[in-house]
Amino acid sequence: MKCSDSPSSRPPRWADCLLERFCAPHLLEEIQGDLHERFQRNAALLGERSARWHYVREVLSFMRPFAWKRKKEPYSSPSYLNTDMLRNYVKIAWRNLAQNRSFSAINILGLALGMACSLLIFLWIQDEYSVDAYHANGPRLYVVMERQMYDGKTEASPGTPALLPDELKRRFPEIAYAAGLSWEEKHTFAVGDKLNKEKGRSVGADWLRMFTVPLLAGSAETALNAPNNLVISRTLAENYFGSPQAAIGRSIRLDNQQDYQVTAVFETIPENSSLKYDYLLSWQDFLRRNEWLKEWGNHVPQTYVQLQTERNGQPANADRLEAKLKTFLYEVSPSLKKGTFDIHLFLQPFQEVYLHSNYKNGYPDGGRIEYVRLFGIVAVFILLIACINFMNLATARSVKRAREVGIRKVVGAARGLLFGQFMGEALLLTAIALVLALGVVWLLLPVFNELTEKNITLHPNQGTFWITILIITMLTGLIAGSYPALFLSSLNPIRVLKNSLQLGAGARLFRQGLVVFQFVLSTLLIIGMIVIYRQMQYIQTKNLGFDRENLIYLHAEGGVADRYAAFRQELLKSSGIQSVTYMDGTPTNGFGSTGNVHWPGKDPNTNIQFQFSTVDYDFTKTLKLNVTGRDFSPAYGLDSLGYLINKTAARRIGYTDPIGKPLTLWGQQGTIIGIVDDYHMASMHVAIEPLIVKLNPKVSGKTIIVRTQPGQSQEALASLETLWRTFNPKIPFTYRFADEEFQKLYRREMTVGSLTGYFAILAIFISCLGLFGLAAFMAEQRTKEIGVRKVLGASVVSIMSLLSGNFLKLVIIAIVIASPIAGYAMNQWLQDFTYKISLEWWMFAGAGGLAVFIALVTVSFHSIRAALMNPVKTLRSE
Amino acid sequence: MRRSYLGEFEEIVLLTVAVLGEGAYGVAITDELDRQTGRSVSISAVHAALHRLEEKGMLRSHMGEATAERGGRRKRLFTVTVLGSRTLHDIRAVREQLWKAILPHSLPAISL
Repeated sequence: MKCSDSPSSRPPRWADCLLERFCAPHLLEEIQGDLHERFQRNAALLGERSARWHYVREVLSFMRPFAWKRKKEPYSSPSYLNTDMLRNYVKIAWRNLAQNRSFSAINILGLALGMACSLLIFLWIQDEYSVDAYHANGPRLYVVMERQMYDGKTEASPGTPALLPDELKRRFPEIAYAAGLSWEEKHTFAVGDKLNKEKGRSVGADWLRMFTVPLLAGSAETALNAPNNLVISRTLAENYFGSPQAAIGRSIRLDNQQDYQVTAVFETIPENSSLKYDYLLSWQDFLRRNEWLKEWGNHVPQTYVQLQTERNGQPANADRLEAKLKTFLYEVSPSLKKGTFDIHLFLQPFQEVYLHSNYKNGYPDGGRIEYVRLFGIVAVFILLIACINFMNLATARSVKRAREVGIRKVVGAARGLLFGQFMGEALLLTAIALVLALGVVWLLLPVFNELTEKNITLHPNQGTFWITILIITMLTGLIAGSYPALFLSSLNPIRVLKNSLQLGAGARLFRQGLVVFQFVLSTLLIIGMIVIYRQMQYIQTKNLGFDRENLIYLHAEGGVADRYAAFRQELLKSSGIQSVTYMDGTPTNGFGSTGNVHWPGKDPNTNIQFQFSTVDYDFTKTLKLNVTGRDFSPAYGLDSLGYLINKTAARRIGYTDPIGKPLTLWGQQGTIIGIVDDYHMASMHVAIEPLIVKLNPKVSGKTIIVRTQPGQSQEALASLETLWRTFNPKIPFTYRFADEEFQKLYRREMTVGSLTGYFAILAIFISCLGLFGLAAFMAEQRTKEIGVRKVLGASVVSIMSLLSGNFLKLVIIAIVIASPIAGYAMNQWLQDFTYKISLEWWMFAGAGGLAVFIALVTVSFHSIRAALMNPVKTLRSE
Repeated sequence: MRRSYLGEFEEIVLLTVAVLGEGAYGVAITDELDRQTGRSVSISAVHAALHRLEEKGMLRSHMGEATAERGGRRKRLFTVTVLGSRTLHDIRAVREQLWKAILPHSLPAISL
């Protein structure tokens, strides 16, 4: 509508324009007339300025429903939701699906796979976020951690002094509760004849008040008050006593040494808890068993606090508390600050810890959250690839639907209606795909759970599940349907019906762009898969410095520890055993570190942390470590003052010829007797640290390491078990393989690797489905052309290359785009490893080659078929 | 529905249309209302009321002549329908009946 042109002494034009815009046309004349009449009078009476002002006010006052409501058209077009039209839409949609079976199948299959995959990922992400989310006091729970600065590094560590929790609670009014948490303890439970190893923890008395651990019997206030109290899970209570109620007050003998009274029974810890335990022991008992933890210098157990609720109902301010806590450790133990060594306390919200448990320079830096994000992106990518299939096939085939669009437009369908129709079709297809996808998810869930070590179940009665499904379906339908619907509804009916429809270059370019995009995503995933696989292989085959094959770990306890010499002697006589030793921790899991190492000429300002382990004779022999100098040996009387160090330690200490040089560990001066080659004491994520190994005759609590004869592990295990039973009749025999312990270090990477692999396969499969459909369509479109070419003498090969070449070009463009992106992303991933492969050109070439090969195979099915067709048949009908 | 309900403002507008006879259109009605009741009414309120009254069937309208000060636009002229007239009479009857029912001196006296 054009705004009226006005000569002088006229109301403000913009107000007039506004009125003309919003006012219903059938009312405009009278209203505008009335307003102008009043304006003229006001201008004469009050002056033009005032009249204009009045005019504007009056126009604005007309902004009310009666004025802007349009009169109904006398011949209104039937509403979109008219039942007849709806029936027609469904019928046409169904006929289209049924007529083009292969295309429908490709679309539905692609969408279903894409949706199934993103649903699985969604379930996984939801599960990740649900971990630890169930604690009622969650937002007020914090972990107290240490930030240690030494040797030019800053490192975050969860280990704190065991006395810290009670001290914090006493000193800071902001802290309502505080409790320590021990490492995972394994004790042998004995009730009557029942004998089992159980896993549990020792915790502070406040634990049950802070965390949501529902008690089935007993009270949280008193459950952990006395040293001999024991709180067990429902599972244990049912196993040992039949029911939670029956367990109360009963006693359980731990490790064949001491009796504990069951004071409470808690509901078995749910799957979505990051902390799992079957029983809880009291903190007093923990300190009694570990006297060494009563010193402020030993930082091993964790500390949890719950903040006080302030008067306004909000939790106390964590930042302010953190500022006060920071230097708390020197206040209680001034000796902790020494030289360059510095130590601060900091708080991390408990519910964040699970997903943010990596630390860089002492500050939280990612963790599982990175994988959550990564897979979230992958889910979106795969869904996009499936949507693109739909968009591509629908627009490519638009010629077939063009006539329908033309006729509909001629008989009065507005663009909006057609848009709605095609959107509806897309949604219908998505809905069919959804049913399939749900089936796939239901089938795959057990396998997926095994792969991700989760226990995810479908909760059909959960509202969020259905809402998510609805959102995913709508989103998929909208994305997939939008472009075809826009495109089809924009067709010009005259051109279509004259049969002179030319699909513009723009549409073709767009389609090609989509194919390129699909293959970029697929190639990215393939490269990711290759790099992760190579890195895992590198880790598996890298020489660790010791031989992890044929090693068995036992826990030294009971009679085996007390009469170790006899045990060892018997063992070495049995079949299948090569050698035996013991150590603190295991070779792949460092035991602890200490800065209390001195040597002549040490710079007093440096503080180098040394990994340490105390061991038995035959340490290097059993691990098959390369040693310069000599191992500990009973032939030398003074070996308890001899030290083995690794090469890194030798380098850090700086002796040119270290053997025979003095070294002081924990104030005990001794000499270096040998240098072992560096071996990996932790995962490949971290660098090898300096190590000091010392002889220690105390066996209890250590890991006994047994090297078996290659290929005789069955015999070795059998003899180990019989021996164990004679020495430890009251303790069940448990063992671990070194190789399995090693694999556990990379469990997360393994899962990510295999998931990436599956997703890559899925992505390339869905992309190829789309390519397959496009190729089929192209071949169909060009049958006449191919017929003419053949008649004129084109060879089968030339026709094939004609048809495949186009697609090949797109795939190659995709590879060129994907390679640098993948290079950057994988480089980031590899940064997490200290020991890593370097990216090599063949990884990209391999991924590219694979993509090209798969695309070629997909396309050539149709191009061969087209090329072999008898030209007479294709040219006969015209 | 026994009878369309009329709001107080609608009633007054309807009466004003009756007062103006042949020349009842937006501006004239607004001015007349201003003069008769002394309240300053906005033209949009009058239009809205007219619109509603026409929907209720109490007014009938046709387009009148165009004038120069209206920029060549026509007026919409309103006349009261039979239904409108009946409604007004009904209202008046009810009012009078009520007035008659009031006992003398039962209303507090007001001095003019």
